[in-house]
Amino acid sequence: MLKYGLTTFLIFVCSFIEDAVAQPAVGWQEEANINEVIYNAPLQIISGAHVSIHQLAAQNPLVVAFVFTRCSGICTPLIIQLKESLQFAPNIANKKYNVLVVSFDPRDSVKDMENMATRFNLQHEGNWEFAVTDSISRLISSVNFNPVWDEKTLQFDHDALLVGVNSQGFVTKKLLGLRNSKDIGLLINSINNVFSPTYRLPAQSNLFSCYNYNPKTGKNTPGLGMLFIALPAILSFLILIFIRLVSKSKSV
Amino acid sequence: MIMEAKGIKKNTAIWILAVLVLFVLSIILGIIMRLNQGGAVHLEPGTFYADMTVHGITMIGIWFVAGMAGVNFIMERYVKTSYWANTFALVMTVIGVVMLWVSTLIGDFHAGWTFLYPLPFKIAWSAWATPMFLWALAVLGVGWLVWVLSLMAALLKKYSISQVFAWQHFRNKNPEVETPPFVLISMVSLLGVLTCLIAAVVLLVLLFAEYYSHGTFVNDALLIKNLTYFFGHTIANEMLYLGLAIIYELFPEISGRPKWKTTWYVAIAWNLTLFFVLLAFFHHLYMDFVQPQGLQIVGQLASYLASLPSAGVTVFSVIVAVYRTKIKWSLSNLLFFIGIAGWVIGGVGAVIDATISNNFLLHNTLWVPAHFHSYNAMGNVLFSLGFFHWFSVEYSKRKGQERLSSLKLSFLLLGGIGFLAAFYVAGAESIPRRYSSYPVEFTSAKLLATLGAVFATVYLIAILLFFSSIFKRCLNMVLQRS
Repeated sequence: MLKYGLTTFLIFVCSFIEDAVAQPAVGWQEEANINEVIYNAPLQIISGAHVSIHQLAAQNPLVVAFVFTRCSGICTPLIIQLKESLQFAPNIANKKYNVLVVSFDPRDSVKDMENMATRFNLQHEGNWEFAVTDSISRLISSVNFNPVWDEKTLQFDHDALLVGVNSQGFVTKKLLGLRNSKDIGLLINSINNVFSPTYRLPAQSNLFSCYNYNPKTGKNTPGLGMLFIALPAILSFLILIFIRLVSKSKSV
Repeated sequence: MIMEAKGIKKNTAIWILAVLVLFVLSIILGIIMRLNQGGAVHLEPGTFYADMTVHGITMIGIWFVAGMAGVNFIMERYVKTSYWANTFALVMTVIGVVMLWVSTLIGDFHAGWTFLYPLPFKIAWSAWATPMFLWALAVLGVGWLVWVLSLMAALLKKYSISQVFAWQHFRNKNPEVETPPFVLISMVSLLGVLTCLIAAVVLLVLLFAEYYSHGTFVNDALLIKNLTYFFGHTIANEMLYLGLAIIYELFPEISGRPKWKTTWYVAIAWNLTLFFVLLAFFHHLYMDFVQPQGLQIVGQLASYLASLPSAGVTVFSVIVAVYRTKIKWSLSNLLFFIGIAGWVIGGVGAVIDATISNNFLLHNTLWVPAHFHSYNAMGNVLFSLGFFHWFSVEYSKRKGQERLSSLKLSFLLLGGIGFLAAFYVAGAESIPRRYSSYPVEFTSAKLLATLGAVFATVYLIAILLFFSSIFKRCLNMVLQRS
């Protein structure tokens, strides 16, 4: 009996191997492209200079913000929030950085970007650069930024994305959404090659966290994941008792 | 019944042959890695890490099954074990190992033997290699789970739960039912193995869920790391205890001394090990800032409480057995004796590293491979090699004088100690582990890696000398008509 059972099981296991070849694209968000080199796009800066991203990063590590000048949504809050956060971000006093605001809309001209810089009163800020590039699709795909054009609103549907690039051109950290000064501080530290702890954003698809964070109380409570850690020990002791009970009843 | 007992003997011989072949191949991969770190050969980083992955997981796997095969064989002295479960585990192990080697050496999967999340899903190799690797683990895990359950069932048919864990020895010096140390330590180890294999099942189910859900389900990195080390750390420890169970049975027997008995302190020590070894894995997460501090402290305390009592009573038993007594020394009990020394030295290295204040300095330095190679290459390997030698001589028709014993042991000691010293010195100098090649800032790293490779080659020569005699006898047993 055991023989047949084991043979059937073997066939069952082997039959799965063929199915195992398909590779899904797992939905990574902030983790995607970390430690990869950002595409070395040629830039036209509003000052008139022509440089590449890597050349710019070699001068000072970069925080890259992707915007478009006709944006009626997140672009303005993104830049304003970044400007404010940089004033209050902790532990960045001695850190080098430049902010590169680059348009991902091919319709934007250098003049448009210059106007944008003026609107935010950043046109004379030494460590802010506004630029356009003729290689925008390669640049945004190298950081997994995927704006989608919406014909109805005549707007791009896009994330608020900040990408940290160190002086060697490597992506060190990405921030999605409007983030506080603490996160911006971590971003600046990471582009200066200082260790910055990273974490995945909480999501509906993450079911078995070890801890659940309550933003109202600011406290962690044990999650289902903790049960999973205890489960093997509990199960094996139950199996031990079960085997003994079965052996005992058989011997009686 | 007799046929099945002969089947177990033949299976044991096959296990030994398979382990020895894979061991030699894995040592060669290890030497190539050290030569690459030393700059004597050049591997692409991906190839280096594929070597590292297959080297690590094969070594853990083969010395686990070596312990299991030995325990299964000796357990036949006390209870009837299942030939079919043993054979099933053998078949599953062969399939699993082939899948594993294909996924790493052909598919180039190189996420390390700990395959720490999310590395397996950061595809930097053939797309099929990740599922192939995970399925290989599943195949191995199922085979071993069936085997472990069958051995536990065999023991629990004869002994009650309290008897199998020798609880009657806690208070009573002469209990009605005596639990042999072999039975106690085997059961402690088997229950630990069962627990870590269940952890592996949970881990694999979660990894498969993420892989096949196409991103609609994602895992919690902290949970996966905890489960990975629950499985990985625990199995690496339990396989040592399987070897120790064999030593408790065979060392006095081979040495011509009275059989060792379970005393109250032996019973307590091994029961402590049973419980605390399941908590010791937390010391692998000292650098994970999100792990609560309480669990980090549990990790340190459990590391002490799991290792010190069992090591203490084992060393005490061995010293009492050999000190000022007439011992019939043979290659087997010499290997056991040296193996215990290697296990203790590696264990001390491990406890040093498991101490939080030290871990700040030693974490992810070559100190880590130094200590785990100590209790494996010069500990557990020698436990099993001692058993292999004893088994092949005892049950083979090709008896005769063992040749070159002194040379084998000298090469083993010289190669082993030199190889480990290169790791320890590098660890003390804070040279990081898991680097395929070293930057110039680590001035002594390349030299030490090359020295390590040279001494590992001497160790390999010793193993090949053992290999030739044991292999011939075991092959003879396998080819014998029953």
